[in-house]
Amino acid sequence: MRVIAYVGRRLIFVAPQLVGILFVSFLLVKLIPGDPAVLMLGPFATDEGLIRLRTELGLDRSIFEQFGIYLWRILHGDLGTSWQTTMPVTSDLAQRFPATLELVTLSLLMALLIGLPLGVAGARNKSGVLRKIADYYGLLAGALPDFWFALVLIFVFYTILGIAPAPLGRIDFTVIPPVTLTGSLLIDSLIAGNWPALRNAAGHLVLPVLTLGLINAAPILKMTQSTMQRMLEADFSRYAEMCGLPPRVVARKALRNSLPSIITIVSVLYGFLIGGAVLVEIVFSWGGAGQYAVQGVLNADLNPVLGFVLYSAILSLVIYLLVDLIYFALDPRTR
Amino acid sequence: MIEPAKGPGPSSGEAGPEVEQSTSGRFGFFLAVLRARPQFALGYGIVGAVLLLAIFAPLIAPFDPVQASPADFLRPPGWPHIMGTDAIGLDIFSRVIYAPRIDLTIALLGTVISAVIGSVLGALAGYYETRRGVGTFFSGLIMRSSDVLQAFPVFVFAIAVVAVLGQSLQSIIMAVAFVNAPIYLRLMRSQVLSVRRLRYVEAAYIAGVSDLKILLRHVIPNAIAPVLAQLSVNTGWAILLTASLSFIGAGVEAPTPEWGSMIAMGYQNIITGHWWPSIFPGLALALTIFGFSLIGSSIEVLADPARRRTIAGELQRRKIPAAATRG
Repeated sequence: MRVIAYVGRRLIFVAPQLVGILFVSFLLVKLIPGDPAVLMLGPFATDEGLIRLRTELGLDRSIFEQFGIYLWRILHGDLGTSWQTTMPVTSDLAQRFPATLELVTLSLLMALLIGLPLGVAGARNKSGVLRKIADYYGLLAGALPDFWFALVLIFVFYTILGIAPAPLGRIDFTVIPPVTLTGSLLIDSLIAGNWPALRNAAGHLVLPVLTLGLINAAPILKMTQSTMQRMLEADFSRYAEMCGLPPRVVARKALRNSLPSIITIVSVLYGFLIGGAVLVEIVFSWGGAGQYAVQGVLNADLNPVLGFVLYSAILSLVIYLLVDLIYFALDPRTR
Repeated sequence: MIEPAKGPGPSSGEAGPEVEQSTSGRFGFFLAVLRARPQFALGYGIVGAVLLLAIFAPLIAPFDPVQASPADFLRPPGWPHIMGTDAIGLDIFSRVIYAPRIDLTIALLGTVISAVIGSVLGALAGYYETRRGVGTFFSGLIMRSSDVLQAFPVFVFAIAVVAVLGQSLQSIIMAVAFVNAPIYLRLMRSQVLSVRRLRYVEAAYIAGVSDLKILLRHVIPNAIAPVLAQLSVNTGWAILLTASLSFIGAGVEAPTPEWGSMIAMGYQNIITGHWWPSIFPGLALALTIFGFSLIGSSIEVLADPARRRTIAGELQRRKIPAAATRG
């Protein structure tokens, strides 16, 4: 019961938070110099045409009125149109957001697979070789610019070895993509039983996932190692050790107690990567959501930016809520 | 437990007094630590070298960093272009050593501005959080505004700041400062929250010392250590942000030598096998960030009394066998 009450209390704050975030981004994008009407009609626009378009877009009203109209439209499921793609933002994002989610989810899974075992091993033998590897991995991977590392991987695996597909999107033009259901090419082609598409899409995922996975393993590794070490030095671990429990069991208990902070760092990384993967998306021409938003900012295209901010804010709120629920499940003291 | 016991306070006696006396004060201790932990020395070495290269770039660079010789385009590394030339015939080595001038300037200024603004606001927010009235209201306002700032995707926000202010050096610095300020704000607030409950702060308050004086004399000096430790790590991160902004085309504009924009310029050539225009600036960028994060972890160790004591003890143990063999 307390959990439900807690979720309810959290959800009450969601709407005002979202409106606040939207309003700030609205102001920010509005402050960007550049008149959408001029950009849309091009250099040969007539004055009457410009005025007509501005009235149509509501640009002649006050900023608060414009924001009010925008909110009203959101409530009706209309996020406006992007003048660059001339498509409704909702359908643009429906296509791009899953692309980013697929990439980020797989990358974080890979980062966990590397960071978690290495971090645990590093914490368990403080002076061994694995600890040295873990320490240097954390420092080195943390220093690599992801967009540059992506280029290095492309150079090695595409240009020299020729085993990776060209960095030109999520699937080759020659392959028939599956019918869009979830937006994730892997899941969709699995459902459709479209094996060539599955193979091709998986091949395109390898390099970007490798890039983001290897780099983002570093923060997970550092967090796992430091928390795990603290837990192994804590009284309950010493007690377990003195009682003669085997080291494996002690380590398992310590790991269970370190899980909350590991989950926290993963959730923070998830929220960050939704927008932060944009450079890797650009390098691989991924056509993801971050890329869409950046194009929007660079071209004073308001609606895509707001749509992206709204989607990613909702997603982070959902993730943080889930994380808090996982804490409830993991830590009996919070119940 | 009366002292907050964080950071190198005015008397660093807790760091093993014997060792510090025997190695001529704190600087001597610092050098001894560098000898014991060579990776820290490596960090200071890298950053020092980058700084020297940036300062003396006009003397070292064999070519003009913005003067192209179109006949020599895409020459592989060799003589006289030791890192080769890019697609329009600019010498890559010269540009790589000129680049830190702009990258480091942006990153250092951005980090310092964000640290100053963030810590002042954080200190105020922490100090007034439990007071009634206007103070509480303001500290709530500051924290909620920083929540909203942090809810933004970092990158989209930074690009938007640059777009609003116009593409210039100042606006990139402002973007870096804006994005980083909430980190310092949170760090300082949490420190101040614990420091302000300590006896000496309460004593000063009861003695009638003004809020400003309490903050400046008693609270901030005892809460600043984690902020200082954060500075170096954050500088590395700011360099990365600067380069990323330039890579997208929202930062430093090409021909100005800058690592991120150089990587972007060489991006098309990678596919055709001309790796050098992108790989060398990226290596320089990664090495510099690596140096800053090594310095960051050395400060983290030195600012933590417990870990400093461990190192001091280790140094002590090394010294004893040496003395024994000598005697």
